[in-house]
Amino acid sequence: MSDKPRKFKGGIHPEDSKALSASKAVQTAPLFDKYTVIVHQNIGAAPEIIVKKGDLVKKGQLLAKATGFVSVPLHSPTSGTVAAVEKCPGPTGLNVPSIEITADGQDEWCSPFEPLSDWQNIEPSILKQRVVDAGIVGMGGAGFPSHVKLSPTKPVDTLILNGAECEPYLTADHRLMIEQPDDVLIGAAILARILGLKTAVIGIEENKPDAISKLTGIAGKYNVTVQSLRVNYPQGAEKQLIYALTGREVPIGGLPMDVGCVVQNVASAAAVFDAVIKGIPSIERITTVTGEPLVNPGNWRFRIGTPISKAIELAGGVKYQPAKILLGGPMMGFAQNSLDVTVMKNTSGILLIPVEHVSQYTSEPCIRCGRCVECCPMDILPATISQAVENERFDWAEDLNVLACIECGSCSYSCPSHRPLIQQFKRAKAEIMAARRKKSKK
Amino acid sequence: MTNDILVITIGAILVNNFVLSKFLGICPFLGVSKKLSTALGMSGAVIFVMALASLVTSAIYKYILSPTFTINGTAINLTFLTILVFIVVIAALVQLVEIILQKFSPPLYQALGIFLPLITTNCAVLGAAMLNVQTNRGVMASTVFGTCSAIGFALALVLFSSLRERLDLAKVPTPFQGTAIALITAGILAMVFMGFSGLV
Amino acid sequence: MTIIITAVLFATGLGVFLAVVIGATARAFAVEIDQRVETITGMLPGVNCGGCGYAGCADFAKAIVEGRTIPSQCPVNTPVNITRIAEYLGITAGEKEKVVAVVRCSGSCAVTVRSPYNGIRDCRSAALVAGGAKGCDFGCIGFSSCARACPFNAIEIRDGLAVVHPDLCVGCGKCVDTCPKSLIVLVPATVDVHVYCNSPEKSVLKRKVCKTACIACRKCVKAADSENQMIVNGFLVATNYSNPPLPDLIEKAACPTTALRLASKHASGAYEGVLK
Repeated sequence: MSDKPRKFKGGIHPEDSKALSASKAVQTAPLFDKYTVIVHQNIGAAPEIIVKKGDLVKKGQLLAKATGFVSVPLHSPTSGTVAAVEKCPGPTGLNVPSIEITADGQDEWCSPFEPLSDWQNIEPSILKQRVVDAGIVGMGGAGFPSHVKLSPTKPVDTLILNGAECEPYLTADHRLMIEQPDDVLIGAAILARILGLKTAVIGIEENKPDAISKLTGIAGKYNVTVQSLRVNYPQGAEKQLIYALTGREVPIGGLPMDVGCVVQNVASAAAVFDAVIKGIPSIERITTVTGEPLVNPGNWRFRIGTPISKAIELAGGVKYQPAKILLGGPMMGFAQNSLDVTVMKNTSGILLIPVEHVSQYTSEPCIRCGRCVECCPMDILPATISQAVENERFDWAEDLNVLACIECGSCSYSCPSHRPLIQQFKRAKAEIMAARRKKSKK
Repeated sequence: MTNDILVITIGAILVNNFVLSKFLGICPFLGVSKKLSTALGMSGAVIFVMALASLVTSAIYKYILSPTFTINGTAINLTFLTILVFIVVIAALVQLVEIILQKFSPPLYQALGIFLPLITTNCAVLGAAMLNVQTNRGVMASTVFGTCSAIGFALALVLFSSLRERLDLAKVPTPFQGTAIALITAGILAMVFMGFSGLV
Repeated sequence: MTIIITAVLFATGLGVFLAVVIGATARAFAVEIDQRVETITGMLPGVNCGGCGYAGCADFAKAIVEGRTIPSQCPVNTPVNITRIAEYLGITAGEKEKVVAVVRCSGSCAVTVRSPYNGIRDCRSAALVAGGAKGCDFGCIGFSSCARACPFNAIEIRDGLAVVHPDLCVGCGKCVDTCPKSLIVLVPATVDVHVYCNSPEKSVLKRKVCKTACIACRKCVKAADSENQMIVNGFLVATNYSNPPLPDLIEKAACPTTALRLASKHASGAYEGVLK
């Protein structure tokens, strides 16, 4: 690891708007009377529901068990009664299965796991099983089951902790690193032990100097190195982070383990700390509730199943009507059409965007300016792929490596003609995968 | 005219490109250049025909048709048969190519369609043969000239078909759609190749 | 004189030599072409719509000659031409029932809840964004992908809802593949009564987002002539196409949401503005 951080190819520099919430300490949300927990909160198979209407549950009790390897269990955020097992609005706009819990006000734990304070001498496989049982997923936003990343099928020599938080507006990871640095670092050490490594490195963008200095002070104790990163969106994307910290390039269509690396978000590391040291499953997380229309933007610790209407209330409500509400960051987040959507394990932010920041555009023809090609961090050709998709030539789009696109949004952001590039690439990917499925069925 | 092989090669491929400088062989140039794969197939067929045609026709001219042919000491001048003989030879060669292609690559045969027999009446092939006659080269040099002209033809065809594939994706204004924009592009490509003039 | 003789001899000799060479090569590299494929391709409409299930008319002709399919499989061809093909090959034309497409949704903009959408105006792309920015996850998005895909211009988009004109539809099925919500089905052309709703959600939730949703009240099931003319599947009712009801069911049932409609009247817009 060199002292001067490497710059990955491309990237953009949007206004970071983090001042709205960066200095606000994390507040714990009060206990609400109803939590609607969405069942499928991870990439991979949905867990199987094991409770039914009328069941009494305690805080941390298993609500759904994992089905298969790429799946995680789901636990109750509080104690109470299962009011219903039916559909509710999901983060992608479609109605999804959910479990509604009416809180009884006691918030009684069921104490499912035994705290493993002597983790330095415990078998790594037992520690990994704890990660599985606690239902931990990638909390940076992707929601990929963490234990799958911790079971690499190729030799791994580097553990990277992702503290970049490159999306504008979001400050949840930043506050976590300032307020709970030991949790993050011990979590990193536990992850390193699971992977059989002695050290880990945390990458933090330079716009968080307080987090860098706080962690650098105590990281040595846990054999973790802190490396500052250039401010460049999407620095927090896995492949770009690996390149900046190690100089290794993940091949197209490949995974981080192909170059001997495993990447975990700092919030996931803190969740591992909770699961191993405190013995509690993944039922809450820090989320940034921010945006200019809010009276009091800030960072809160929410339990899963909290409706975002309550989150907005906690932030003091709105000064004026927002134009868009996003879950996640402004670059890759999903716009919502219902305030009944609830917080999930991977909800890093709830964003309210005022009308002047939302472009109501009419898309115009490509002028071949090349800005998208310059800023693409994956080194593909957005302009040509966009033309191919417009003419429904998905075979051509596949040859141009549209499947390598990480949907970071840099190209859409830079396009002077306001072309809906990311939507076109999503369409191309969907059509290519559908065609492959059709071919394999034949 | 010098027999220098290198000069002939560069001259035929770049400086005096058959399609873009001499404007011979425009028919397959515009007709087969919609897709790169058919363009490559056509190029292969043309290279084969032109190489062989140059060899055979220059040999026939030198040893039979030209006044160097003597019977009992009298020079027999059969140059009036040039065009007739050349066309018959070229037609036979193209027919052979067609038969072989139909047997060994039916998809390419279907894709090239009518343009394959059109190589026969293609001014590029006959043009190469006639140019060899006019410039009085040896048989070896003539074959090189014929082959390199065909390579130049192939170069122009491949470049143009790649351009047309990209043109397919562009939003061309209605009056220009189809052949019109193709011809304009061909003209610009010809201007580009003018940059090679004076090289040899 | 010598010149003329030499010329004639030479030219004739060359001609004979080349003829022998070509003849031998042709004999050695002969390829079997079936002339019948070309003749039959001439008897087909030449639209290359793919409605027969093959890649274009030439491919279909090849399949007929090879005996893999029957001439009536082409939904676009005229009965005269189908018979001609059958006679040419000496086979039977075969029977194929005429089918038409039905878009099983009645949720136009006037009766549904929609979020403002700013993106590509194409149904397959819009379906990737919040399922189409429509309150109902199973309904018609209305950005005319099916209308553009129809080679016969049989689909009209009225107020954000795709409507098939059964008299123009030939049943080629191109629209069925295009719709990202799998809303379109091919049904026998003789059946006119359909339930224009596709959502299996609970009726209470359906009503919140669409005024013309089927609420599974079962009035049509009870008013039908026989028990299984209308099939109930959870919160959604559908016509039984093997035992279809008669058109008078519309008056007899008096569907409270106008989800039950006649295809012919729906195509002419007779149900718009009926519900207040």
